[in-house]
Amino acid sequence: MHSPRCWGVMCVYKLELKGISYLYSKNTPFEKLALSEINLGFEEGKITGLIGHTGSGKSTLVNLLNGLYRPTEGTVLLDGKDIWENPKQIAKIRTQVGLVMQYPEYQLFDETVRADIGFAPRNLGLSPEEVERRVSEAVAFTGIPDALLDRSPFELSGGQKRRVAIAGVMAMGAGVLVLDEPAAGLDPRGRREILDGVRAYARKNGLTVILVSHSMEDMALYCDNVIVMNRGRVYASGTVDEVFSDADGLMEIGLNVPMVARIAAALRKKGFPLEGTLYTVEGVKDAILRLGKEGRA
Amino acid sequence: MISDITLGQFFPGFSLLHKLDPRTKLITGILFIVAIFLAKTPLAFLALFLFTVAMILVSRISFSVILRGIRPVIYILIFTSILNILMTKGTSVPLVDFWIIEIYREGIVRAVFMTMRVILLIVGSSLLLTYTTSPISLTDGLESLLSPLSKIGIPVHVFSMMMTIALRFIPTLVEETDKIMNAQKSRGADFTSGSIVRRAKALIPLLVPLFVSAFKRAEELAVAMECRCYRVDKKRTKLVKLTFHARDLLSFLVFALFLAGIVLISRMPASMLGGGFIARLLCYRI
Repeated sequence: MHSPRCWGVMCVYKLELKGISYLYSKNTPFEKLALSEINLGFEEGKITGLIGHTGSGKSTLVNLLNGLYRPTEGTVLLDGKDIWENPKQIAKIRTQVGLVMQYPEYQLFDETVRADIGFAPRNLGLSPEEVERRVSEAVAFTGIPDALLDRSPFELSGGQKRRVAIAGVMAMGAGVLVLDEPAAGLDPRGRREILDGVRAYARKNGLTVILVSHSMEDMALYCDNVIVMNRGRVYASGTVDEVFSDADGLMEIGLNVPMVARIAAALRKKGFPLEGTLYTVEGVKDAILRLGKEGRA
Repeated sequence: MISDITLGQFFPGFSLLHKLDPRTKLITGILFIVAIFLAKTPLAFLALFLFTVAMILVSRISFSVILRGIRPVIYILIFTSILNILMTKGTSVPLVDFWIIEIYREGIVRAVFMTMRVILLIVGSSLLLTYTTSPISLTDGLESLLSPLSKIGIPVHVFSMMMTIALRFIPTLVEETDKIMNAQKSRGADFTSGSIVRRAKALIPLLVPLFVSAFKRAEELAVAMECRCYRVDKKRTKLVKLTFHARDLLSFLVFALFLAGIVLISRMPASMLGGGFIARLLCYRI
């Protein structure tokens, strides 16, 4: 179940999961299997989407990626090395895989926005100049005016807080950035601002990004590859086109398939052989127009 | 993980102890504690011990859970026992008299009985109150028992509402702490190493967000309650009305008789058991 864009030795996985399973509350009456038989690879420099129904194991998977949870079975490989090889060094792994949790604005605590974004670089023991450099780089992502940088983070608006929290993880300078529902609870404009910003930042710095989301629209717009989770297993993985062409299957496992994709699936069922990108308005429009032309020809 | 901490854990079940009215459990709990302090002889302690075992069997809570409940106080017990043994001055000849250490028989006896008392106290009260009674029904019972106090102007209902809310939010706050800790760890925070000062400082990124969210939650809860017309000064009806059953009366009788039995046993002279060595040992008064 590897991403099919990889060919043998050519393949560069920044982060790889092998035979992962995860049990909550092991050896207690509350034991619960959250993940089983997960084999995945995340390509270097790509944005990989992780999508799945609530309770499909997305968030558990995310916590495994930077070593907050230790897999019950299997290994997590970062640059080909087992991150749990030396459990005492796990804090180091956390600085190499930046994790932005769900609703990350609750992590804000410092007196000023600037100081809060600088928390992670300060923890790395960097020089004040280097901390300052990283902070200003991350601030550029947030789009927050300089005048607000010396204010308390609690005075910001919801969307601004979210962006400051994400910047706080970016400032760590990790090569991998994992974002768990970074746009949850924001209006469409806030969503776009955040996701556009993350993409631009990732492309500029060559980051490997793993983006968890409910929204297939977001996935379609921002991701190179997609992984679909269902009941603690990988349901499908591949490029956006490959995975989203199976609208029926995705609806079956309870995903919110875009309206146009549902229309396209219904049309195909009625016998219209639509082809191409069938999950965006543009793509479906093109497909229908193409079909119309062919019909007339 | 921090969520592994158990705080007065309730184990849902359907045993007789679970079904008893919370008020019954509160009152019989007090009777049991009184019995523990009125027990003066090893024989009385034997009776207490057997009674506690019987309660555990009735509650169908496993012995390993009970033992886990005692574990946190073991070090305190050992420490106080040593203090008791060393500090108690007896009237007889000391058993050990070495350098500044003098150990008397009374000290050892006192340490043993204190340890037994504390263990019985913990097991008995957690069996009756925390393990078999849900926090909500416990506060309901407490409110009902204390309600006469509201006649003299004590806001019993307010206290019980505060207690209910506090109990309700303990798991939420534990979860929240876990979440914030993970978020800050993901930003390279270190909570477990360094000097005491460093560690105390490391708590700031944890405590500030925790307080912020607790205040926010409190405000939201207050608004939600007001939206449903909650008023402190208005009398509210209950969803679950507490009612006494035959089993409650029976439990009162059992505990009252048991208490009387403990008092009698503690006064029993050794001669009643034949006056032999074992009889004298069992009836040795502290």
